[in-house]
Amino acid sequence: MRRARLEKELKEEHGEIPYEQTSVRELLTLMKDTTELITDLAYAAAAFENDELAEEVRHLESEMDKMMYQIRLKCMLGARNMEAAEQMTGILQVASATEKISDAAEDMVKLLDMDLELRAILPHILSEADEKIHTIAIYPGSDMVGKTIGQLMMESYTGVRLIAVRRQNRWIFGPDANTKLFPNDLMIVRGVESGYREVREVAHAEIPWSEVVH
Amino acid sequence: MNEDDRRLLEMKNTSELMLDLAYSSLIYQNKVIAKEVIELEDRVDRLHEAIIRSALGKSKEPKNFDRSLIMIKISDSIERIADAALDIADVVLRDIELHPVVKKSLEDSDVVIQKHVVENGSLLHGKTLGEIKLATETGVWVIAIRRGYDWIYGPDEGTTISGGDILYARGPADSEKIIAPWIKGK
Repeated sequence: MRRARLEKELKEEHGEIPYEQTSVRELLTLMKDTTELITDLAYAAAAFENDELAEEVRHLESEMDKMMYQIRLKCMLGARNMEAAEQMTGILQVASATEKISDAAEDMVKLLDMDLELRAILPHILSEADEKIHTIAIYPGSDMVGKTIGQLMMESYTGVRLIAVRRQNRWIFGPDANTKLFPNDLMIVRGVESGYREVREVAHAEIPWSEVVH
Repeated sequence: MNEDDRRLLEMKNTSELMLDLAYSSLIYQNKVIAKEVIELEDRVDRLHEAIIRSALGKSKEPKNFDRSLIMIKISDSIERIADAALDIADVVLRDIELHPVVKKSLEDSDVVIQKHVVENGSLLHGKTLGEIKLATETGVWVIAIRRGYDWIYGPDEGTTISGGDILYARGPADSEKIIAPWIKGK
């Protein structure tokens, strides 16, 4: 859904730009959601020294720039008087804060372009964070196979958030409720340790999902 | 973990807390929370400076150069994220009426900010966050607790929950249903 919304917004960018209240709302939601994803991806890219994750960070950052431009246009068109203009500054301040976050995330992955041994430092530090980033493989006999993220309600039942899925040679970034899981998928997750252990046990077909849902 | 690693980690955890608090202050038009974001930004600034000083000091030895560069770059990125949180909190403190679209767009997010009153006799009463593993069981991550006139920001595993507490938290949209029976009285 996130991707579909993004494409819709991008199409709008090349056409007429009507003032739509709902569109500012959608853009702002999308920008906030993107910051959640882009920071997780940036830490993961740096910790695992993974260029594909870094590439997605760069891609999301350029999308954020486009969304920022869109939201600026729409706010300007919507400001018909002083009071409205003041309110628009609030919207734009929040939007540009999200853009600043994505800039910071992109800067973080620039470290990968430098000839540095990130692996020697970062995973070590991030492994002590409140919420850690891990990779978990889904084994063929797991209860997660064939289920969508929405059906599992994984984050609500375990506190573990799915950031990305690697399936054979391709990636699904920021998977949504309709994303179905397959055997041998590699999940990149973020969450508290006890929840991570639960998800790993189910993914490795050691315990049924029903043991997690109680 | 050395002193600088601990500083960087604290910066990361604090910057994430600041963002969640900043969004909460927007949604609930709460200046007390917005001011806490400013306090936390001060702490992040001090940590950032300490990391740079230490990294520069160590970089005189060539073998430490890469490490120092990494620490400065990551610290700088995190400091900017904290700065962005400050920008968001600033909207609340500027006394300008918030456009309703901001609150609505935050409510539509994948990660929603929530507020719950813990009822007397609820499962949470008298338990620490570590004991009940609230984040693991419900997906809800508590970012602040209001207890009478007192506030606890970024509670940890050892923080005890009591009936009457107001929890400010974040979690996936469907987590609000799941946490409901936990906060209800028996």
